Amino acid sequence: MDFRLGEKELALKEEIRKFAEAELPADLVRNTLIDGEFRDFEFEMSVSRKLAQKGWLVMSWPERYGGRNASLFEQTVYEMEIAYWGIPGAWMGISGTQWVGPCLMMFGTEQQKERYLPSIASGEKDGVWCTCYSEPNAGSDFANIRTRADREADDYIINGQKVWTSAAHRARWCWLAARTAFNTAKKHQGISIFIVDMKSPGVTVNPILNYYGRHHFNEVFFDNVRIPASNLVGEENKGWYYLMQSLAFERRSLAPTTYGACRRIVEDLARYAGQTRYEGQPLSQNAVVRAKLADLAVDLEVLKMFAFQLAWRISLGQIPTYESSRNKVMSDDVMKRVAIVGTEILGAYSQADPDSEWAKLDGAIQGAYLGFPGQAIAAGTAEVEKSIIGQFRLGLPKSY
Amino acid sequence: MDFGFAEEQDMLRASARDFLARECPKAKVREIDRDEKGYDPQVWHDMARLGWIGLVLPDEYGGMGASFMDLAILMEEMGRNILPGPFFSTVALCALPLLEFGNDDQKREYLPQISSGHAIWTFALTETSGRYKATDVSLRAAREGGDYILRGHKLFVADAHIADHILVVGRTGESTSPEDAITVLIVNARDPNIRIEPLPTIGGDRQFEVSFDSVQVPSDSVLDKVGRGWNIAEFVLQRAAVLKCAEMCGACQAVLDTTNSYAKERIQFERPIGSFQAIQHKLTDMVIDLEAVQYLLYQAAWAISVGSPSPWQISAAKAKANQAYQRICIDAIAVHGAIGYTMDDDIGLYYRRVKAAEYAAGDSDLHREVLAAGLGLQVS
Repeated sequence: MDFRLGEKELALKEEIRKFAEAELPADLVRNTLIDGEFRDFEFEMSVSRKLAQKGWLVMSWPERYGGRNASLFEQTVYEMEIAYWGIPGAWMGISGTQWVGPCLMMFGTEQQKERYLPSIASGEKDGVWCTCYSEPNAGSDFANIRTRADREADDYIINGQKVWTSAAHRARWCWLAARTAFNTAKKHQGISIFIVDMKSPGVTVNPILNYYGRHHFNEVFFDNVRIPASNLVGEENKGWYYLMQSLAFERRSLAPTTYGACRRIVEDLARYAGQTRYEGQPLSQNAVVRAKLADLAVDLEVLKMFAFQLAWRISLGQIPTYESSRNKVMSDDVMKRVAIVGTEILGAYSQADPDSEWAKLDGAIQGAYLGFPGQAIAAGTAEVEKSIIGQFRLGLPKSY
Repeated sequence: MDFGFAEEQDMLRASARDFLARECPKAKVREIDRDEKGYDPQVWHDMARLGWIGLVLPDEYGGMGASFMDLAILMEEMGRNILPGPFFSTVALCALPLLEFGNDDQKREYLPQISSGHAIWTFALTETSGRYKATDVSLRAAREGGDYILRGHKLFVADAHIADHILVVGRTGESTSPEDAITVLIVNARDPNIRIEPLPTIGGDRQFEVSFDSVQVPSDSVLDKVGRGWNIAEFVLQRAAVLKCAEMCGACQAVLDTTNSYAKERIQFERPIGSFQAIQHKLTDMVIDLEAVQYLLYQAAWAISVGSPSPWQISAAKAKANQAYQRICIDAIAVHGAIGYTMDDDIGLYYRRVKAAEYAAGDSDLHREVLAAGLGLQVS
């Protein structure tokens, strides 16, 4: 056993701190933490390019695709620090660096790798991706997707509707799950993965505003969208297998990013408690406040250990069965409690609009409070994740 | 980073699991519950022969020279089987501080007896407040001539009835700060002026009120230096917190395993109850709690093993274990239904020990204070 971070990881943390202090406006946090959507897309992309120049944007990719073969531990620390500082632009949409790129390396053709990986790795707008998975009737029951891709000579014709598509309004490319076979014995057997140019005729993106008016999600319509057959990823009807891999990549980074974001909030709350006086003493001396923050610190530490334990397993070449789900459940729980405790410590100020002069801590608590219920649904609800843990960790019957 | 155990550690765990499954089945635990001694001397001596009691003591004191992490692994297995007896008191609470703070004469005199299983020790800190801070210590150890005279009461002293020696935390003078003027003394538990009265507990473990009525202790019985005792108490609380956490972790694992098996076997509505999400999700919460305790425990124990103990990591582990062990047991009873509430079922054996574990080596309030200070929250 060894629970130390290596020299590289420690140096990286320090470099990211310097980067954040130099590159980010002081009040950026109100726009970013938890909520994840940056209002200023041009600024976000300018940071992406800087991250690429630093050699960070795709650090764990192989050199031939623009990375530097960084270990998963370095990658994990990077994700923690990116989230801690609220640095925008790290994910290229929400998916380019995190699962589209890695999946293309595993399952894509040489031509696809050459076409798509460099623009992600260099932080160009052309490398911004969205992920079209969910549909109105395919949420937790993801295999129930109805969007179809019909082969026609050298093309596929896409028809259907996707929903909850993050960053579709900014993405150049879409990583699409669509049905290519019908009447299969099991519904997950007829699914394929495609790359779709979001500028294609017949693609319509409509914003969905979340309950506090932010535009992060979209619905995406595909109306006879024609794409070349060479945009199929891997084999036809093997898409479910690629999807499980892409979801594993997606879920892996949840614990590091949640840890980083929540760590920042807890530290900010501790500082706030030290600077805020009530009834003749700082809030930090209030036993209830101390106990609440201490409890959060324990579970943050758990989340950190879970994040590194998963990275360790993958780096041994093992395929984790339930750990990503465990980390998702823990991440959701930590985020929820950090947000709620945050509002309790800020008291009445927790209702101030995050952009108003009355907001404390640059609105980070409001961002967390408004954001956590949505984050808890994305990438798999706690209920689905717990059922996966029941099945794969405990050997209980499939319950869904 | 490396979350894996060494091969020898896996072997230690496997042999401990075999031995304890054989020598300490639940029938034995129940039998010892009713027995006055509270442990099985035969098992105790077998464990000494296996080298477990002196596991972390150096070879020159009859020990095996193993690491603190190894000891944590062994205690995890003991916790899994809820092995009754004075292992925690003797090793975690006494052998470790004797090795760390004892002078050569004391170590030569006492440690080989511990390794060989011939001496049982316990530690007396807590008094009427039921807590663990320096302000809670009021037992007087007054210097009279060449001796100290002990007057006062200690509560919740584990295994005092079978102990040969007690490490007593007492006050040897007046001071402005409560941490100063505290001294730890090695006391012969058989002294006629010591009265040991049972303090019956819901856990079925053996705890006592120990009264010191002018107990005369020679001055060479001071551990480390006069007035430096709180440093020792903190050392003990930290090491013991990790080892208690290991026991709790093993117990959590056993409760989860038992409950998961039951959920697969118990049929209602023509299906195993484990096929229902309401049951699965309780079991899943137990998994997450268990693994949280495991990794916090391993991190804290590993840091001690490599000589860089972290009070913050230790407190995080114990605070989490206190919460998780209780929650796991309560959910386990719920999954079992009424059978989990009976004397015949094993879950109750674990549940009844929750409070003993929680209040050993610092309760959650104490550990939260360490964590709060670590967050930079000013101390009042």
